Amino acid sequence: MRRLFDCVFNGSDQMYEKARKDLDAAIKKYGPDHTAMFPDTAFNCAIILEYAGIEVKTLGDLDAAMNGTIKEWMTKEERVNDVFHSGLATAMAAQVIEAVKYVDDPQPYKGEYHGHMTDAEVRELGLPLVTKDIPGFVVMIGPAPSDEEARDMIKGYQARGIFVFLIGGIIDQAKRMGISMGFKVRIVEVGPEIWSVSHVVDLVMRAAMIFGNIQPLDYWGMNTYTLDRIMAFVNAYSPVDDLTVACGGGAIALGFPVITNEQEELWKVPKSLIIQKDTRDWIDTSLEARDIKLKVTAMDIPIAFNTAFEGEIIRRSDMYLEAYGSRTDCFELVTSKDMREIEDHKITVVGPDFDKINDVLSGSGEKVYEPGGSIQLAYVAEVAGKNMQPDFEPVFERKLHSWMNCLEGVMHTGQRDQIRIRISKNAFEQGFRARHIGEVIYAKIMSEYDSVVDKCQVTIYTDPHECTKLRHELAEPIYNARDERLALLTDEAAECFYTCTLCQSFSPSHVCIVTPERLGLCGAVSWLDAKATNQLNPNGPCQIVSKDDCVDETVGIWPDVNRAVNEYSHGALEAVTLYSLFKDPMTSCGCFECICGMEPATMGVVIVNREYSGSSPLGMSFAELASMTGGGQQTPGFMGHGKHFIASKKFMRAEGGIARIVWMPSHLKEEVRAKLNKSAEELYGIENFTDMICDENIAASADDLDAMIEFLTEKGHPVFGLEAFDF
Amino acid sequence: MSQEFKLTTVEQMEADQARLRETAAQVGIDTWQDRVKNQTPHCGFGEKGICCRICAMGPCRITPKAPKGICGATADAIAGRNYLRMAAGGAATHSDHGRECAWKLYDASEDGYYHVTDASKLLKLAKEWGVKTKDRDIYDVAHEVAELAINEYGKPTGYQRWTERATEERRKTWEKEDIMPRAVDREVVTAMHMTHMGNTADAEALVRQSLRCGLSDGWGGSMTGTEMSDIMYGTPMPHDTEGNLGVMEMDQVNIVCHGHDPAVSEMIIRYAEDPAMLKLAKKVGAKGINVVGLCCTGNEMMMRHKIKMAGNFLQQEAVILTGVCDAIVVDVQCIFPNIGPVAECFHTKFYTTSPIARIPLSEYLPITSQNAGEVAKKIVKEAIENFPNREPGKIFIPEHKHIANVGYSCEGIKSRLDTVTNSRIDDIDTYKPLIECVKSGVLRGAVAMVGCNNPKVRPDYSHIEIMKKLLANDIVIVATGCAAQAASKAGLLDKRAKQFCGEGLRRVCTLADIPPVLHMGSCVDISRMMLLVTGIAKDWGIDTTQLPVVGCAPEWMSEKAVSIANYVVATGIDTYLGIDPLVGGSPQMMQLITEGTKKMVGAGYIINTNPDGLVESIIEGIEAKRKALGI
Repeated sequence: MRRLFDCVFNGSDQMYEKARKDLDAAIKKYGPDHTAMFPDTAFNCAIILEYAGIEVKTLGDLDAAMNGTIKEWMTKEERVNDVFHSGLATAMAAQVIEAVKYVDDPQPYKGEYHGHMTDAEVRELGLPLVTKDIPGFVVMIGPAPSDEEARDMIKGYQARGIFVFLIGGIIDQAKRMGISMGFKVRIVEVGPEIWSVSHVVDLVMRAAMIFGNIQPLDYWGMNTYTLDRIMAFVNAYSPVDDLTVACGGGAIALGFPVITNEQEELWKVPKSLIIQKDTRDWIDTSLEARDIKLKVTAMDIPIAFNTAFEGEIIRRSDMYLEAYGSRTDCFELVTSKDMREIEDHKITVVGPDFDKINDVLSGSGEKVYEPGGSIQLAYVAEVAGKNMQPDFEPVFERKLHSWMNCLEGVMHTGQRDQIRIRISKNAFEQGFRARHIGEVIYAKIMSEYDSVVDKCQVTIYTDPHECTKLRHELAEPIYNARDERLALLTDEAAECFYTCTLCQSFSPSHVCIVTPERLGLCGAVSWLDAKATNQLNPNGPCQIVSKDDCVDETVGIWPDVNRAVNEYSHGALEAVTLYSLFKDPMTSCGCFECICGMEPATMGVVIVNREYSGSSPLGMSFAELASMTGGGQQTPGFMGHGKHFIASKKFMRAEGGIARIVWMPSHLKEEVRAKLNKSAEELYGIENFTDMICDENIAASADDLDAMIEFLTEKGHPVFGLEAFDF
Repeated sequence: MSQEFKLTTVEQMEADQARLRETAAQVGIDTWQDRVKNQTPHCGFGEKGICCRICAMGPCRITPKAPKGICGATADAIAGRNYLRMAAGGAATHSDHGRECAWKLYDASEDGYYHVTDASKLLKLAKEWGVKTKDRDIYDVAHEVAELAINEYGKPTGYQRWTERATEERRKTWEKEDIMPRAVDREVVTAMHMTHMGNTADAEALVRQSLRCGLSDGWGGSMTGTEMSDIMYGTPMPHDTEGNLGVMEMDQVNIVCHGHDPAVSEMIIRYAEDPAMLKLAKKVGAKGINVVGLCCTGNEMMMRHKIKMAGNFLQQEAVILTGVCDAIVVDVQCIFPNIGPVAECFHTKFYTTSPIARIPLSEYLPITSQNAGEVAKKIVKEAIENFPNREPGKIFIPEHKHIANVGYSCEGIKSRLDTVTNSRIDDIDTYKPLIECVKSGVLRGAVAMVGCNNPKVRPDYSHIEIMKKLLANDIVIVATGCAAQAASKAGLLDKRAKQFCGEGLRRVCTLADIPPVLHMGSCVDISRMMLLVTGIAKDWGIDTTQLPVVGCAPEWMSEKAVSIANYVVATGIDTYLGIDPLVGGSPQMMQLITEGTKKMVGAGYIINTNPDGLVESIIEGIEAKRKALGI
């Protein structure tokens, strides 16, 4: 077995000998004062300039570098320090060899190879590096096992925007396969021999000096800059000789991992020297090794994707199909998996595609879906990443709403299993199909959450049986688990609250204060969501609100809550309380799940949810009630809120709590029953409290007020034991 | 960036201590520095291990003119017996701590004070021990596992079940050498019996029993302590906290937890977070409640929570001398009886909580599974109420403190190693990335820095100087106990400390996002280190004794350290000591503990009281192991 360090030390000796020989011959021929300059650069011999601090002008300067830093750095103690210095000294020696070539002939490669790169070329890289249009650089040292493989790999890197440098036999392979090369097309045929790699290292040095203002002799500054900012890596095909290993030592010193198929077990170094026998897998292996995540610039979809379409409304007459979670089993879900369980960018459609929905038959042979009608639809995005936390799942999931809406001809409302999606005839005719939902979700998750997601796959279900089955077996347990986790958190136990200003794009003065017992009124942002959003993006919509110096715990008054709403509403609001319907109630953006309104006859409140279309004992439907508030207005007596807030012990606690609830649609009662009963039992010792609440079956409109009062009286509703509202 | 980061020097720490001693002088109380002076020079016979006071015919002391005790015991027999008794004392201490932890788990319940926090660790252990888990309440499983653990202390036949985790080669060695540990209690009793007047006088037999007794600790009682604590209080995972006396807060109620068993401190942490308590604290004018740790209780707390660490063993008086210690709560081990008299000079309340550690001038509140919460609540409340009683003239808080990235249990280490794997080729949940670094030479090896502080050398100096030299040589450090705290105080647990490393270790720290010194826990948690080396050996496919990994206790002082040293050596890991092991009067014992054990178990002690010399020999030892492996 060859020890890695021995190979580096041996290789650096070989490079030194070759450089010494070539330089001696040149000095003998031209004398030490002869000019030794690469063309079109203000940073001549940048590797030597950086590490030896010598501004090379002549062969004599090269000789000084050889006798000085280059020799001094080729130490052989068994430490990485020596390996790195030897590796960088090898690169300097390689630069001496190349510099001598340019002394003999200003165009030593005669157009056959690119060789030295000009400052203009280096500067061309600036913008695409910042925008990550060039996400990285690969130095391929070949030949590859076959011409075809060489082509596939080079093209594979090119397709991903990776800038390719070729050295050695792989250049001939690329030529034989007819690949067009040059700096402009970002495939550079550097040179035939390993020492030509110094041109690439030289480019890296100049990039750091030009873009990073790294100064000569700043060893740590340079090596930290290259490690942190220059996303380069090396692919070295077996057999790898000691000269190449020595250069690899230099590459690793700069933070550039080397991927090889050389079978030396003793060489493996995590994230630095990676042995991958399957050379066809080098692209993925390399990108992971260098932590390069590709920016997904284009989505493979037939319709436009733009925030301009977010507010687009699709009317029934324009609709090709609709999926409506309130009526049938539909859902959307983001869930995390182990890295190994996910095939990145896999999009699967289970069930008939949109153009085949008419073929779906029920058990008795009837058509399940009608054209222009409702289908069942579900989609599940599975994500994985080394920094992924389950707490982030709902955060990504809430974003689906906005992403789906950005599609031209697609409308999305609601969340979880209450989604409503409409796809326009136009979008369908342009070719929009089920898998495109997956493409959009994939592309957006990978671009917006690349700090935590490394892999993502999406499955879209149109098969009604699968939708129903998975809604109950997959989605609901996950939703419930998330809710249960939240149920254990109380406002008192929380270390802080959060703001949520996610919807300020259309409700600029609204601020939600999200607490464990009071989720955002849209129902979509729980305290955990807000916390995760804050972690993912500390400057984002969810900011920490401290709980210090509570003024009134019953009404829910905190100085920092007031400060926060004032700041984030840009002065529109002075104060909000967290637990009162009358004193500075929390504002609404307009996308609340439910609205509650004071009912003067009983001194109770009526709650109406968005899905309920009928009227209420207040004589108003959801839509009419909703118009009473919203848009960031404070309307005492009316307040938008999330469904989960109904069972909260903090629900209008200042006015006596949930005992005030006198009316809810029967559907909503069923939804909140278990939790509401539990809270009432714990708060007042009342059993089956939900049964005491009136619904549309007893009182469907303002005309039925007497029926409601009679019902409440008969049930012994606790609202009658409470004092009148104090306006 | 990193250029601004500076370590705290031993000189700076000593200056802080000197300033606090001025307060001690002002209030008229002695500290350990004064007592060291009074006790120096120490008894030469005691230091050499050749004073025998085992029977009342003596004490006998060995001199050239009197080479035998009255019974005829030679220097070898006397030093050997004293040595075994120290090992037995240490094993008893660690193991009894472990037993207490197992009892707490046995008493754990959903609505009690002690809970199952890391259920997956419990289920893993249940599976390992063949305890049924399917369709069972987690607490039923916990109670059965706890009972099995408790029974290990007195099992009539068979060996410690934890030893089944060791490598095949280790187990064979222990069987062959007849040092496989039996019941924990039995090994201690056997040690006491063997060393009674008129029993074993053969030094080698005494050393063998020391190894066996040590193994019953490291692969028995201590491992029980660690595993049970992880199950109840959570397995530590990497996170940031802070260390050194600067963590004491002027405007908060400071409660210091000191000792080893986290059962008390866990409760104190819980009640210090109670809103009612926080409210009370605000009422007395404090901004909050600052629970901090000392010694190994501090390690246990900082490993699992964001609790800060006020100091190591020799700072236990200093922490009161700051004048802002509103209460000091102790459990067991390493507690100076002088805490009482020092606390008397201040407003500080001093609570003892264990029948194992009864100390004058303390309020004794014995803690049990049934009353733990109530006692903790009372202590927290009284500490808060004591906040206004501080005497401004006696207050000085040193400013030094450092960020400490801690929580490197085996699970924590693996979680960081996973981040440097490549999913196209590598497995996760292994030590392979670490092994690759060692095989390739990027890291030369690893040193387990453990043990106490001992004023026989310059406190903390040996720890810190040895660590710095090792780091510069690309040798990664795992640390526990007061050694880990010395690193914390100096700043070596700050990730930025990588700038003091050789380029190999520096790069490893960058890629894995770790500090160069990995804090593995309290002294009981050296059992984690045994599992770490075993895991590495298994993933590598060699025995522990072949690994370029050694142990080092440069400032050890307690009997527990002797027990630890014995099980570390028995596990095949050479152990470098900076304090003489009190057997210098017997050339045979010196030979046995340095060379003799090498023949038995493949490892021994290397002793050098000069830290510079000690670290050189560590590096040589590691390079020799590498050479033997051909790497």
